[in-house]
Amino acid sequence: MPTFKDPAAVELPRVTKGKRPYFFEDQSVDQVMTFFLELMTEVMVLRDRQDTLERMLEEKGSINRNDLNNFIPDGDIEAERTAERTALVKRVLRIHVPGGREEDEG
Amino acid sequence: MTQTALATATDTLPDIDSFLKPSHDEYSRQRAVAVLHSHALLNLRFDVSKTYERNVKPQFEAQNGRPPKDGYEIAKAIKDDHFFKFYSAIRYNAQEMGPMSRQAAVERALPQMIEVAREAARLNPAGGSLQLDPGLEIPRYITQVDTHLSPGNYHSEFTEDDVAQGVLLGRGLSSNSGKSRITRNRNFSGVGESIAYWLKQTYPGFKPRRVLDMATQSGANLLAYPKAFPGSEAYGIDVAAPGLRYGHAKAEFEGVPVHFSQQNAEKTNFEDGYFDLIVSSFFLHEVPLEATKRILAEAYRLLAPGGVLAFMELPPHKSCDPFLNFTFDWDTRYNNEPFYAKYRSQDPTELTVAAGFPREAAFEVTIPDVTSYDMAKYPGFLRGEEIAPPHGRGGWYIFGARKA
Repeated sequence: MPTFKDPAAVELPRVTKGKRPYFFEDQSVDQVMTFFLELMTEVMVLRDRQDTLERMLEEKGSINRNDLNNFIPDGDIEAERTAERTALVKRVLRIHVPGGREEDEG
Repeated sequence: MTQTALATATDTLPDIDSFLKPSHDEYSRQRAVAVLHSHALLNLRFDVSKTYERNVKPQFEAQNGRPPKDGYEIAKAIKDDHFFKFYSAIRYNAQEMGPMSRQAAVERALPQMIEVAREAARLNPAGGSLQLDPGLEIPRYITQVDTHLSPGNYHSEFTEDDVAQGVLLGRGLSSNSGKSRITRNRNFSGVGESIAYWLKQTYPGFKPRRVLDMATQSGANLLAYPKAFPGSEAYGIDVAAPGLRYGHAKAEFEGVPVHFSQQNAEKTNFEDGYFDLIVSSFFLHEVPLEATKRILAEAYRLLAPGGVLAFMELPPHKSCDPFLNFTFDWDTRYNNEPFYAKYRSQDPTELTVAAGFPREAAFEVTIPDVTSYDMAKYPGFLRGEEIAPPHGRGGWYIFGARKA
């Protein structure tokens, strides 16, 4: 039997087991893609945070950091944000491919 | 399931998922990653077809005097294409970021979630059960790489009675639900409901006494069957304990009695003919072909005469064109699913027949996902006048047979 940790002390592994593929001749490009996509995600997180701030200020005229940190949007707000994120992803990942893109799946 | 049963169960046990409380930013990150992943999977993946048609294919034809004959040749020819590299890098990273965006919330909730799972196993308020086998050997095909780039894979346990990997990879965390659903027609937990509905229409009067879901994980696609076939007993097996513990706690909370046990589908401890229906989803492409053959033979043994096998799987090579085969098989190397292409190279009907099922009772069909399909069209689909949307985009490919 393996030695088990205290459940409160468990840190799940952050590295995937298996050989990592590299898509570019220079592996540095793959590394930079990881940095870039992580950063892009953080931009989306910041946009949501700003949206939450604006909504709280509009509704209550003040904010409370605890409320902000625990805020989970309802379906309507999340649907709006999903549309915003989808548009952002399409704008930012503007890949050099000739011709238009067919209607996506939604 | 009666309302009373549900009320009783919820009174006894909290919802194990209620302890998962992502922070504002964690939740936002999970959603952002899901959008990124969907974009890679649903848009970029099909944009690759443009670069293929315009650049890769003409060059291949110029060199070989013919178009690529299969997905393997396309994979080789497209490797140096500029667009393919970006598509792959984006898709790979987005896939990898999925579990990572969920881990912190799971770690914080872990002590409480484990307590709920223990309570569920002690009380079984809905009347299900959980049978674990700590001595079960986890097959090498599960331990050698982390499937779908999820660190820890299905089976790893980091603390006693661990549920973490079950929560991370299981149901309850899907972003694809409700109004804010990211994609309209990819609903991984709609498989059970879709197969159950199709079975009822296809085999009128079919009333399974017991249903077995092989490689059930946390039972996301199992609960549909006892609901669709009232009075049937539901069984779910998997080699990985964390998903079973988590799924058991979910099922007990929802008031659906399910018997979860830790077993390898290649060789179970059930007696011959114990089941009338054996299902699975997203399973065989994750195991080596030899294991697939043993699993289907075991399913044959476990089915009673007249029993039905219905597995949802990836469509095989034979039913797709070379380009589609190439896009599917991307996962083999790049999504840590080493048996994916090999599985797809097989003919599901031949595998079924080799396991003992009568050829005339075998089927292969893409069925509509009932959680997204326009159900007014379903009678037309059954009559063969309508076709289901493609697998993974509003439809699910299934195969199986009825035992004589």
